[in-house]
Order: sequence, then C-alpha cells, then structure tokens
Amino acid sequence: MSVSLKNRLRTPDLDGSTWLLLVSFVPLVAFFIVVWVVPIAYALGMSLFQEPVRNPVFVGLGNYVSLLTEPTFWGFLWNSVVYAIATTGLSLVLGLGLALVVNQKIRGGAALRTLMIFPYLLPTLVVIFMWKFILDPNIGVLNQVLENAGLIAEPIAFFSTLTWAMPAVVITSVWKFASFAFFILLARLQAIDPDLYERARVEGATTWQAFRDITMPHLRGAILIILLVRGIWMFNKFDIIYLTTRGGPLQETTTLPIRVFQIAFNEVNFGEATALAGIMFFLLAAAAVVYFRTFAPETEVAH
Amino acid sequence: MATADSSWFGHRTQQRLQRIALYVTALLITTFVVVPVYLMVVIALQSPAATFAGGQVNLIPKGFTARNFLVLLNTTETVRYFTNSLIVTASSTILSTAIAIAAGYGLTRFEFRGKSIAARAVLFSYMFSPIVLAIPLYVIFYSLGLLNSYFALTLALTAISAPFTIWLMWQYFQTVPLSLEEAAWVRGASRFRTVWDVVLPVARPGYISAAIFAFAVAWNDFTMARIVMSNDDMYTINVGASLFLDRVTIGWGETMAVSLLISIPPFLIALFLQRYLLQGFSVGGLE
Repeated sequence: MSVSLKNRLRTPDLDGSTWLLLVSFVPLVAFFIVVWVVPIAYALGMSLFQEPVRNPVFVGLGNYVSLLTEPTFWGFLWNSVVYAIATTGLSLVLGLGLALVVNQKIRGGAALRTLMIFPYLLPTLVVIFMWKFILDPNIGVLNQVLENAGLIAEPIAFFSTLTWAMPAVVITSVWKFASFAFFILLARLQAIDPDLYERARVEGATTWQAFRDITMPHLRGAILIILLVRGIWMFNKFDIIYLTTRGGPLQETTTLPIRVFQIAFNEVNFGEATALAGIMFFLLAAAAVVYFRTFAPETEVAH
Repeated sequence: MATADSSWFGHRTQQRLQRIALYVTALLITTFVVVPVYLMVVIALQSPAATFAGGQVNLIPKGFTARNFLVLLNTTETVRYFTNSLIVTASSTILSTAIAIAAGYGLTRFEFRGKSIAARAVLFSYMFSPIVLAIPLYVIFYSLGLLNSYFALTLALTAISAPFTIWLMWQYFQTVPLSLEEAAWVRGASRFRTVWDVVLPVARPGYISAAIFAFAVAWNDFTMARIVMSNDDMYTINVGASLFLDRVTIGWGETMAVSLLISIPPFLIALFLQRYLLQGFSVGGLE
C-alpha cells in the first residue's frame, strides 16, 4: 500500500498546500529540536565537564573513564540486564499463556481480556502500593498466607532483603507489564487462519504439533518485538525500582537509571550523571540498530 | 499440553483434560491479576480498624466507610496534587495529539528525502529512557527558571508521549484513502478545508488512540514530575502520594484510598474507550 501511495502522491498544487506543509512540519521539527536534539546534545556536552552547571571545568572523557573504571559500574549494568531479562521473559511467558487461553473459545474469555487491561492502565504508583502492601513484613498478605501455611517461620521483608529484593521488584513489574505481551500476542493469534488448524487436525497432527508448526511461526515476529522493545524499556525503567527499593538493599537493585538519578540528585554530580546518561544513550543506539536491522519497522503500514 | 501419543487416552478424555488445563490456567492468571486490585478496593473502602482488627488483615469487608477519603481531604494536599495532575495531563494530551495530527498528516501526504530517517528518529525516541532525558531537561529548566512550572512539565511529558502519538497518526493517516481528499479537491475545497472536513473525521479513531496514549503517559508519570516539580505545591498526585507512606499520620487505608482515586480516570477510559485502546496496542504497543 505504501508503494502505491508514494506513486500517486504528486501533491497537486492547490491553495494552501505550502501553508499546510509548514503547519504540519514546523511543529514537528520545532518540537524535536526543543525537547530532543537540544537536551541530548546539551547532556552529551555536559558529560565532558566537571561541575558543568556551576563551575565548568573541561575534563574530556574523564567522567566516562572514572565511571567505567569504578568496579561498581559493572554490577549496576549487571543488575539492569538481570532486571530487564527477568521481567521481559516472565511477562512473555505469562502473556503467551493467557493469550493462548483467551484465544481458545472458553467461557469468560472476553471478560479475561478486559481484565488484562487493568494492570496496564493502573498507574505505576498504584501498582507499587498494592505490592508493597502484599509483600509487607508486618501486615503483608503474602507473609500472612505463608505463615498460616507453615511455610515460613519468620515474616520476610521482601523489598529489603538481599535475596528477595530483586525477585520482589521483578514480580511487581511483571504484574504490570505482562499485559503488553498478552495484547500483542493475542492480536497475532487472532489473525491466524483457523483453516490451518482444521487441515492439521484432519492430517492427524497433535495439539503440540499444531502449536509448533502453525502457532509458533506466526508468533515469532511478535515475540521478537516483545523481547527487544520490552527489554529496552525495562532496561531503562526508573520509577518501579525507585519507588520500591530506591536501589537497595546495599545496591542490590541499583540499575543504571537509578544510578543516574543518584549521581545527579544525591551526589549532585551532573558531569558524571550526564556521562552515565550518555552511556545509556549509546547502549540504546546499539539496541536500536539491532531493532531496525531485524524489523525495518518504518516500512510497516498499519491496517 | 497434550501427550504426543494420544492413544493412551481416548480422544474425549484428552479433550476434557485440555479444557481443564485451560480453565486452571485462566483461573490462576485471573487470581494473580485480580487479588491486588481487590485488596486495594477493600482496604480503601474499609476503616483501618476493621481491616487490621485482631492483628490479622481482614479482607472480607463487613462495612464500607468514606473515612479514608475524608482523612485524605482533611489532612493532605491530595486535592491540590490531583488538580496539578489534571492540568499537566490535559495540557500534554492536547499538545501531544495536536503535534501528532499535524506531523502525521505531513509525513503521510508529502514526499521528501530522508523520510525513512525521520521514521527511525521517531521510533528511536519512542524507546528512549525518560530518566536520560530528564537530567538535561532539569538543567535546562533550572537555568531558564522554569522548574516547578506547568509549562515545563507539560513539555517534558509531551516529549515522552509525542514520538508514539506521531508514529500512530503517521500509520493511521496511511489508511485514509487519498481518493477521499481528491474528491473534495475536485469540488474546489482548499487543502485545509479538506483536512478539516474530510480527513479528520475519518481519522478520529486514530487520534482518539493517540490522545489516550498521551493521557496514559502523563497521568502515569512519576519520573518527570519527580524531577521537574520539586516544590511541594506543584507535586502531581503520583509524586505527592508517593510520600504518603513515609508519614506517621497516613496508613494503608488512606494510601489505598488515594490509589483508588488515581485509578479512576484510567478506569473510565478503559470502560468507555476500550476499542480505541486496543487499536493503540495493535499499531505497536504502548509503553
């Protein structure tokens, strides 16, 4: 469709064409310059200075060097990777499971679909309050259930225990974001021609074989998108971790976005904060190259 | 789900087992989704005395009360925070949707070089981390004296939502047939008139999806507001309420009450505009 549109688009020279061109592009260009180009260029510039705001001293790549040579940096990077992979992977499994269920004609399927919108629409803060309550060591429902079942002797302070902090943050995040995978996968599932399954059944294929040979190939693209895009977003996620653990205990859940905030506002070191933001920018750029190589998303047309 | 060798069971038994497995999975996931929401609603509407009576959390409600909401009204700035949130969310939704309509139409209907680079730039910024953008914006707003202003936060929130709203409208306008416009041109309508009277009505589902997305980003935002609004009077509801649990006077009852309040606008959208919301997902997901 996009090709035929292009061929037909010898824009007729009518009244107002030029004006319309201006009206449609000036806001776009102005907006991008004001909120994207300038701040990013400014940040990359700042990252080359010590005390860039009050008393700038040019240090070249000094901020980057001191960040990358700090042994803790690699731990923070590792935390980000663990958090991104765990949340994305679990959301995918959960979303796929439910999408497959809803796609079968079961009673209450439509209600289930509506239900899945809720975690997604509830503001992050609300989701965090819920899970802080559920996982609270004193009055938490989960501790209460586990204790009554005799599974634990002492209540667990999930968000502030070294072993449990990361899993607790991951579960909170998965609760909110599994819907993302669910809706994308459900849309793909519903686009599969039912005749394919009918034919497979006639030829004696088992449910598993039909899933492997028909369902999975149709979902492959969507799964890749979820892994890549959701993975990038979770790698960059700030609010959930900040609002639950502040990066603690003992920096166990400190990811790069949390670290950027800490360096900027706790240590008031905007040179290093922008340098770390710069590193995140370059990591995103690298991920984007993979994304564009894999999907060429800009050539896709909606329908 | 099923065994590879189905001769072990009869076909009907196998099908029945599959149905059971389906319903069990559905039930488990439903429980996982519903329980936290249920807790929030019950705790918000019950008095703390009833919730925590006897040292255990009692979640079978015995009676409802507005007590928690009254405490919020009387002892906190909830109304002010809520108003701040409404102002910046509305401004950002309008700005983001307007930019998206203008840019989306231009990108669809005019040919120019570097269009594919523009597409990549839009998508690239869609994946960007708000915290990375927030730091330079903070310094820029600081030096311009714009911190703690609706204007600054509106701009910052629009920066986060606009890449996707632009992308969505760009995709959506491609589904509006050019022949519709041509028909109007032939009858002598100007391009502006055509856009206003012909294209926009057809593109309505597109820009409603875009507006919902922009709304959700702004209403949900914590990061930008936390950084741009440092003055107590200017907190949005998310930032203001995030500090509630640190206060001695505020307990879980009030915390869940404020959560319920924050959830109402998105809930209304889900209720009335579900169709458009799902459309947003199908074009490439929402953040």
